[in-house]
Amino acid sequence: MKRLSMALGALALLLTSIPATAQDKLVVSIWGGSWRDMAANIIGKKFTAETGVPVEYITGGTIDRLNKEKLAKGNPESDITFTTSHVGWLYANDGLYEQLDLAKVPNARHLVEQAKISPYHIGTWAYVYTIGYRPDLLKGVAFESWADLWKPEIKGKLAAPDFDPSHLIAVAAMLSGGDAATWEKGQTKLKALKPSFKAYYTNDANSQQLIANGETPVQVILSMNAHYMAGEGVPIQLVIPKEGAVLGIDTVAIMKGSKKADLAYKFINIALDPQVQAEVAKFKKGSPVVLDAKVDADIAKLPGVFTTADQWNKQAIIIDHKLRAEKTAEWRKWFTENIIN
Amino acid sequence: MTSRPFLRVLVSPAALCALGFVAALAAVMQYSLRAYVPGSLEPGGFTLENFTALMKPLYARVFLDTVWICFLTAFFTLVVGYPLAYALVHARNVALKSTILVITVTPLFLGEVVRTYSWIVVLGNNGFLNSMLLKSGLIEQPLQLMFTRFGVVTALVHVTLPVMVIMLAAALSHIDRDYERAAASLGAGPIRAFLTVTLPLSTPGIIAGVTTAFAWTFSAFATPQLIGGGRVNMVSNLVYQLGFASFNFPFAASLSVAGLALTFAVLALMRAAARPLERFGPH
Repeated sequence: MKRLSMALGALALLLTSIPATAQDKLVVSIWGGSWRDMAANIIGKKFTAETGVPVEYITGGTIDRLNKEKLAKGNPESDITFTTSHVGWLYANDGLYEQLDLAKVPNARHLVEQAKISPYHIGTWAYVYTIGYRPDLLKGVAFESWADLWKPEIKGKLAAPDFDPSHLIAVAAMLSGGDAATWEKGQTKLKALKPSFKAYYTNDANSQQLIANGETPVQVILSMNAHYMAGEGVPIQLVIPKEGAVLGIDTVAIMKGSKKADLAYKFINIALDPQVQAEVAKFKKGSPVVLDAKVDADIAKLPGVFTTADQWNKQAIIIDHKLRAEKTAEWRKWFTENIIN
Repeated sequence: MTSRPFLRVLVSPAALCALGFVAALAAVMQYSLRAYVPGSLEPGGFTLENFTALMKPLYARVFLDTVWICFLTAFFTLVVGYPLAYALVHARNVALKSTILVITVTPLFLGEVVRTYSWIVVLGNNGFLNSMLLKSGLIEQPLQLMFTRFGVVTALVHVTLPVMVIMLAAALSHIDRDYERAAASLGAGPIRAFLTVTLPLSTPGIIAGVTTAFAWTFSAFATPQLIGGGRVNMVSNLVYQLGFASFNFPFAASLSVAGLALTFAVLALMRAAARPLERFGPH
């Protein structure tokens, strides 16, 4: 009888402990590879140490994750989603995000204005798309302005991302007296850039390979990629043109229907912790989004790493994130029809 | 039914797979007829606009380029693959046979992306091929091999070769060697025996191999994407560029449907063109 009671007791304990563990797990959706590692090692570990709650990561591409969450609407697979600012607007427009209460994120008090994307999602780190080039392969060529990409010396040497033409669309419009909202003003200017293109890269690895082997010695490049390649010994010079570099912000949001919103807020608060932000900046060589982050001096001096409000205000070209979400398809179609093909 | 007691059980999984495939295809068809709503994941009402937008010359050019690249790939895969398949079937040395088989089949285990990246290393301006040609003094400036149709077709031939060799080897192994011996006994030399006996008898394998290589290449994505660098585009690259990277799923779906229709049309044409040749096969 005693044995039976003990067995039943153990069974009861087991049954109660299983749901408790599942209940306390926070699920985070993020890109794979170094992004997941960064979130796990810098944010997730601290979160678990402070709350005792483990974090599970669901990884995938931007669109894969968006589609999965769309299909799981109302019963989300994850509690928190990291994605790019304008893609975040697609989640928000589809009612997939919870409205954020920043009062529950004390570390957000030092959040730069540019990282307050919407009532639903806020920035967690930033980077720029700008001009990166190989001085060893482009002797005597200097870049001070985006207009320098149109120089005859660049003919057949340039690469740009094939997945997002918004940087060049915005820049060409700007050089033609317009902006992203009046992007049509830059169409003629952009068509004049066509002879400069040698190729279009598909992803970060492709970009890195093409500039490392000198195939495309100048690129409209992600600053983090350029810094990474420079660290690998590839002689890349990254430029912040006088007009500024095109800002990109990766954001975080709480999924609508998440049953762990309180834990999610704690996670976001840790993501914006000044020390965590400094570590993220060091790991990815990107910009922290809080102004009280103590970034190492050798990281802070890198082009495209913004640590002061002045840098955010003067060096960043910001394409309105909502406009970008709405216009991406139109820009992409025009770019494919008129520039790529 | 009593003679085939397991038929229903064995066919069920295939029927379920077919059902899933048909459902997915129906979803793609349905999306192709819906309007794109900027900034939203939900498509709008029914429209034919996605298909009318395909009438632009750009899309016709990419569709024709795709067919031409598929044709070139199938042709050169056949030219490279036939001798390999012939050697594989006729080699008497087991070690040689195994070596050919391993060399032929190994690329299948690497995956398309890995194989394509290796071709970037070979074809680049500072790549293996250009370095060898520059060192040997045959050229003074690197040849532009990347981002060209030549580069894309070369890499696609490598990707498609294992399938072609396996299909050709299967066809060649079914040809009775006595036919060649009979030709030889009647005075035909090895080349004549090959051209008048073996080659015609392997026609069904050639047709199957070319058709498969063509269809296989039609859906190629990673190779034209990475080697073509946006300068050489196939239908699948357009689907990616215009659909998925910009969230315009309805337009991507219409491109996919048009691509599928083109594949069926071209394969039907190839089948009609190959019908007179089928009589050469073994009976």
